[in-house]
Amino acid sequence: MFTKKNKPKKFTLVRKRVPFLFILPWIIGFIVFTLGPLVFSLIMSLFDWPIAGETKFIGFDNFKTMFTADPQFYDSLVITLKFALIFVPLNLLVALVLALLITQPIKGIKIFRTIFYLPAVVSGVAVSIIWGWMFNSEYGVLNYILSLLGIEGPDWLIDPKWAIITIVIASAWGVGTMMLIFYTDIKGIPYEMYEAASIDGAGPIRQFISITIPTITPTILFNVITSVIAALQQLTLVLLLTGGGPLKSTYFYGLFVYNNAFKHHELGYASANAWFMFIIILLLTMLIFKSSSAWVFYEAEVKKERKGRKRK
Amino acid sequence: MNVPKKMKLFFLFTIVVTLLLSACSSSDTNGEKAEDGKVKLRFATWDVGDDVELQQGLIDEFNAKNSDIEVVLEAYGGDYDTKITAGIGAKDAPDIMYMWNYPQYKDALEPLDSYIKDRGEEYKSNFYEALWNYNSVGEDIYGLPVGYTTHVVYYNKDLFDAAGLEYPQAGWTWEDLQAAAKKLTNKDKKITGFAFPGQPDPYDFEMYLWGNGASYVDNKGKLDGNLNSKKSIETFTMFQNMLEEGTAITTEGWGDTEMKSGKVGMFINGAWYLSAFTEAGINYGVVEIPAFGNNPSASIVSSSGIAMSKDSKHKEAAFKFMEFWTGEQANKARLSFELPVLKSVVESEKLQEDPIKKVFYNMLEQSEGYTPTSFVTEDWSKLSDELSLVFEQIFNPSTRVDPKEALNSVAK
Amino acid sequence: MKITRKHKIIVYSILVLFSLYFLFPFIWAFITAIKSEAEVFSFPPKFVPDVPLLSNFIDAWNSQPFGTYFKNSMIVTVLTTIGQLISCSLVAYGFARYDFKYKNILFMLLLSTMMIPWDVTMIPLYMEFNMFGWINTLKPLIVPAFFGSAYNIFLLRQFLMNIPKDLENAARIDGANEFQIFYKIFLPIMKAPLTLIAVLNIILVWNDYLGPLIYLNDQSKYTMALGLASFQGVHELQIIPIMAMTLVMIIPPVIVFAFAQKYIVEGISGSIK
Repeated sequence: MFTKKNKPKKFTLVRKRVPFLFILPWIIGFIVFTLGPLVFSLIMSLFDWPIAGETKFIGFDNFKTMFTADPQFYDSLVITLKFALIFVPLNLLVALVLALLITQPIKGIKIFRTIFYLPAVVSGVAVSIIWGWMFNSEYGVLNYILSLLGIEGPDWLIDPKWAIITIVIASAWGVGTMMLIFYTDIKGIPYEMYEAASIDGAGPIRQFISITIPTITPTILFNVITSVIAALQQLTLVLLLTGGGPLKSTYFYGLFVYNNAFKHHELGYASANAWFMFIIILLLTMLIFKSSSAWVFYEAEVKKERKGRKRK
Repeated sequence: MNVPKKMKLFFLFTIVVTLLLSACSSSDTNGEKAEDGKVKLRFATWDVGDDVELQQGLIDEFNAKNSDIEVVLEAYGGDYDTKITAGIGAKDAPDIMYMWNYPQYKDALEPLDSYIKDRGEEYKSNFYEALWNYNSVGEDIYGLPVGYTTHVVYYNKDLFDAAGLEYPQAGWTWEDLQAAAKKLTNKDKKITGFAFPGQPDPYDFEMYLWGNGASYVDNKGKLDGNLNSKKSIETFTMFQNMLEEGTAITTEGWGDTEMKSGKVGMFINGAWYLSAFTEAGINYGVVEIPAFGNNPSASIVSSSGIAMSKDSKHKEAAFKFMEFWTGEQANKARLSFELPVLKSVVESEKLQEDPIKKVFYNMLEQSEGYTPTSFVTEDWSKLSDELSLVFEQIFNPSTRVDPKEALNSVAK
Repeated sequence: MKITRKHKIIVYSILVLFSLYFLFPFIWAFITAIKSEAEVFSFPPKFVPDVPLLSNFIDAWNSQPFGTYFKNSMIVTVLTTIGQLISCSLVAYGFARYDFKYKNILFMLLLSTMMIPWDVTMIPLYMEFNMFGWINTLKPLIVPAFFGSAYNIFLLRQFLMNIPKDLENAARIDGANEFQIFYKIFLPIMKAPLTLIAVLNIILVWNDYLGPLIYLNDQSKYTMALGLASFQGVHELQIIPIMAMTLVMIIPPVIVFAFAQKYIVEGISGSIK
């Protein structure tokens, strides 16, 4: 099709534009549906902005109030970080263990795979209703079963020490999504790699550490980042299951923002809150990304590096 | 190989286009409806289930009678506040909205005084006087009363019978209630005499203070000396003592779930649960809230009204519908799930003779003249949050703070 | 891998233990759904209702126009899934297989859209959709999907990054153009992760509650998730129909998952070979 003369020129031109053509849908979507509202909310954060009535420009007062005059801001931040610290590693670990379990070539594994995935299919609203229904400390079914076993169940939703654990239990129920992502990746590892290792005398644990883990580091990165974001923005469960209680022990940052916007009707202040969290998550993500060059191995990049070295 | 793939793609493309078209066209037809010369009014309700169906029936009636107006019902359910907040915030509020928390939304609402004045004094006086208070902010009326409930004591007759107790009667006192709770409580059978929310809504809880001659604030909105007054502390201490003695438990929600288990003797709340308790097979009775000594008890009124959006483009038509919605016919149509607010309907339906409904009307008459703090203070939603936390500290088993200390910490 | 008997027993007991945690809430939801009003709240709880009321499912379905809701949910779910598959595969491919100016900044920007708290952009976005005349239509729920979502793009990119670079270089030498490389070589390879994205999107959209709540007004436009939530009033929860409809609502996604399993199991490398 191309004559030999103009091929290289055209090729580079096309190659310069081509990547942008591929990502064009997202760029359009970003400009139309995200950028505007985002800028708007940044502007809102500089205003005293009730849902109805006069809006008033107040500069950085919302941020000042947040940092200096609202103890709930710090409380919510701490609780949320605490939750993320428990939730993220636990969820990753459970997801990974389950993903490994369901790759076991044993009978009936398909059924278990479906069972483990099942809760991830349920909506957040229904999850909170189902668990709230079981967690009732006085007349709920969980504590009743525990009492049959001779254990006095905790006051799940009344005792502040237990409430955050309750949230962890209920939210870990939906671990299936992450499990499935790990599973898809693990399933993609060629069987020959294990076979070769097995011939070399590596046991299952050894194989897991030297083959499975390195190959799935890209998905680990994905799951770490998305679950950090999910944990820091958790709202549905605390809104519907605990309402932030008992004693504000589950008054997560997401709920703090939500209440400022929808209960106290302070849209400007809520925007300021949200922008702060946005920046925190952004910095965290960038940090994780920076660190990822040390522990995430992409096949495409590995190959490139090797080639580069060869050329030298 | 190439052709079938393209065919596949084409096939997929056609599906997408048809689905997109069907998604769009369905909305277009809806837009046209408003353009046939009719005034289209959006009406938002928080009711759910059968109630919505009943409301739709009423609206159909109205639409049939008024050829120039078309009212569309929008049922938002449990997340009503989120939805209307979004609508108001984006300047796209429904024309007519169910409303109870007027102070919170008043900037988005149309004052109705002039409309009401046009209908004459008799129109206004047919509504229970106490209810206008709950549909106004300051001097301005923002809503027409639709329904209401006062709070009453629900008691489980079977448990009373089993304990050999007489049913409570109007005019009883908190001491009577405590004595009954003690006799009802049976640890082995997991039966408790009395239950109240462990995280009570401060809006509701103020009625107990009223009954004891106290309130959160004075008429200037000052907390100190009111919330932490002797009478107020006494009230909280009484509730706390019942928990300590084990004759009462705190509930996780409003308490209806616990009451439905048949293991709770008494619980206080509004008329929402009348049919639910019957369905759950609870043999219950209702009675007025007990009094502190000689002071007659009072109840908060959980009122529902309808308000008009300030941005509505068809205010006259909207009020016409509001008038219909609060009129006698509509009051009667909603009898099955709502307590009528018109004196003429209460009379004609002989509700004062109904052994259950009359209790709610008695409580309403007893509660005239009390104004909840939410209508007095500037920033109730914030204060409510603070109060709620303190109340929880008083009642939660892991804290059980001394009421005096706790209340002082907010008031000062 | 050789599997010993001991190994098997250990694996099975762990599997069963986890199953208990994952399955029990469903069992309890089902038991609740077939009880009578009086039995639901009775204490101690009954594990087998006297008369199992399967009719509760029919009653729950008929108590609201769930047929309409089902149709709306299907329209939204199918269209968004198609939109996500097309847009995300293109965008992820662009990010994963090319080097270009501002790539890292743009990718960070993409990721950052995942972190925007929903509460604050919701009202401006509402205003925008209102300007387009999209409020009370299904469009706000569908159209954005045709421009990709950060979550799916990110996930797909991670898979694509893990494919050796030689693949497209060989094709380029054979004279294939860039789009042909994407379409003929990479699209087939992406079958497993694209299926995964389809499954995840179907579940997300099927269950989405806040979007429909905010953008839809009247019942003829409602989706299943909104219908389910309508059993929850301000003062009371109708626990029986909620449990019944929750169970009904998981059927379509479970069917999808059952069919999708096969493709996900193949993995990516399976299709390279």
